[in-house]
Amino acid sequence: MKTIQPFDFPLKNVIVQFSDDDEEHLPSPILTRPHLEVNENDFLLKVKNVAEYRVQDGERVFVRPLNGIDKASVQLFLEGSVLGAILHQRGVLPFHGSSFEYKGKGVMICGNSGAGKSSITEAFCRNGARFVSDDITPVGVSGKETKMFPVKSRIKLWDDSLKMLKIENAGFDKIRPGLDKFYLPSREVISGEQRLDHMIVLRVHNEEKFEMHELSGMEKYNVLRKQIYRSIYLKGMPEKEKLYFKHMFQVASSVRITIVVRPQICNIFDAMEQIQKAIVS
Amino acid sequence: MKNIVWLASYPKSGNTWFRMFLANYLKNATEPVTLDEIESTPIASNEHDFEKLIGLNPFELTPDEVDLYRPDIYRELSKEAEESGKVNYKKVHDAYTQNKDGEPLFPEDISKCAVYFVRNPMDVCVSYANHSATEIKKTFEKLFDEKSSMAGKKRGQLRQILMSWKSHVKSWKDQVLIPVHITRYEDMLQKPVETFSSIIRFLELDYDQERLERAIRNSDFKLLQQMEQESGFKEKMQKCENFFWKGKTGNYRDYLSNEQINRIVEYNYDVMKEFGYIDENGQLTV
Repeated sequence: MKTIQPFDFPLKNVIVQFSDDDEEHLPSPILTRPHLEVNENDFLLKVKNVAEYRVQDGERVFVRPLNGIDKASVQLFLEGSVLGAILHQRGVLPFHGSSFEYKGKGVMICGNSGAGKSSITEAFCRNGARFVSDDITPVGVSGKETKMFPVKSRIKLWDDSLKMLKIENAGFDKIRPGLDKFYLPSREVISGEQRLDHMIVLRVHNEEKFEMHELSGMEKYNVLRKQIYRSIYLKGMPEKEKLYFKHMFQVASSVRITIVVRPQICNIFDAMEQIQKAIVS
Repeated sequence: MKNIVWLASYPKSGNTWFRMFLANYLKNATEPVTLDEIESTPIASNEHDFEKLIGLNPFELTPDEVDLYRPDIYRELSKEAEESGKVNYKKVHDAYTQNKDGEPLFPEDISKCAVYFVRNPMDVCVSYANHSATEIKKTFEKLFDEKSSMAGKKRGQLRQILMSWKSHVKSWKDQVLIPVHITRYEDMLQKPVETFSSIIRFLELDYDQERLERAIRNSDFKLLQQMEQESGFKEKMQKCENFFWKGKTGNYRDYLSNEQINRIVEYNYDVMKEFGYIDENGQLTV
């Protein structure tokens, strides 16, 4: 087994190693899917045509790239689904959201892939916000406060978003060959933790107008649990799910949550303005 | 368990209208079901279902890679349906194809059957252009394009391989792994009781004439148009004015040139004849 370093990992205290072993199955999975097996401390993900990833105890990753695959593709899933597995194994609640600090407020924009989290976060960062994390934002609860931790310093944007944001593509790296999605150069991120004040849950509809409403009570909890990154893993991690149940009630009580629904086709800066209104209201 | 029913069609061929009929029939209520009630059963190419059930971002995979996982999504949906003891009716616009591993996207082992909706391709062309808020010449060319697909770009639904109109029809008609019942859109309009009752029997649902007729009335096209006007419809594209547009046959005559009509007939002659859009004398019937 080779100890690496051709691959980077967004978190410290994680050892990433190449593996030559064709891992068929985990010894005792709780969740079993054809490409995914999970229990509390052990995880196996087979990304077809790309690589197999084994993750153990929140600190070790074994990667077996498949024949002929490029490094960027292997790296992409390390920084996404595998990072998610590490965080879940450590019991650090990860949300599917991009985050920043704006006018003294910690903000996280959550939503499904394709909702516009990264584009709008970049728009905010071009208007005075300080970047925290892209796509995955882990949180911790400390007393009555919820803290966000920066884990991903590179924002990924499609070519059409770059154009709309008027960012010249100065030879940015593609996230994978064949996809017109690019890593922006690393931003300076907030060092250490940042208080989370407001979560925006971004949705899309086919109307021309924006809609916005702030949640209260149990509604907040119900929406919050749907923002967990790779919640499918929790079907194999019942102890973590129990732990998160408590954390999420604390998050729900300390953080404002607003649903913002944007038109399918809209300007990124218009979406940013709507969210600004939500934050300052 | 074989508990998924595929409601398959080329776009704009009566699929959503039938889903409204079916929702009314299954609910068996006096009042019409709302459009919201079918929005809760997303299309088979729904990108959120993919990410939720597979745990990967579909937009960071190529469309061919996404297709490698699609049979597994439907097996998961089948398990969920088994737990709730229900049949899952799934709308599909994909042609019946196999992924790069040679596995059909819609696996036999969990498929109860399929209902395939076919509509005169000339009306499809015009209605599809309205739906996509695009020029007719674009949807016209799609009808002939054997490599045609929809969605699967940077956001929105997963890629769906359509192929040409006639290949789409043949893909579902000629596959032998899933029992398929083919229904003409024109028959749904012109002889609804006979047409919808044959589907209900094919689906092995309890048959009740009064319930059937009520479901037909409660999913009347004009009523659907009215509901869309009042409350909107999430499956409409943003730039499209009305999802439920005209709902009639022969509308193409107001939009297509003779040259376009001739080209459609020439390319699709056998399939159009098989489904009665061309009669024994080679004349258009719609």
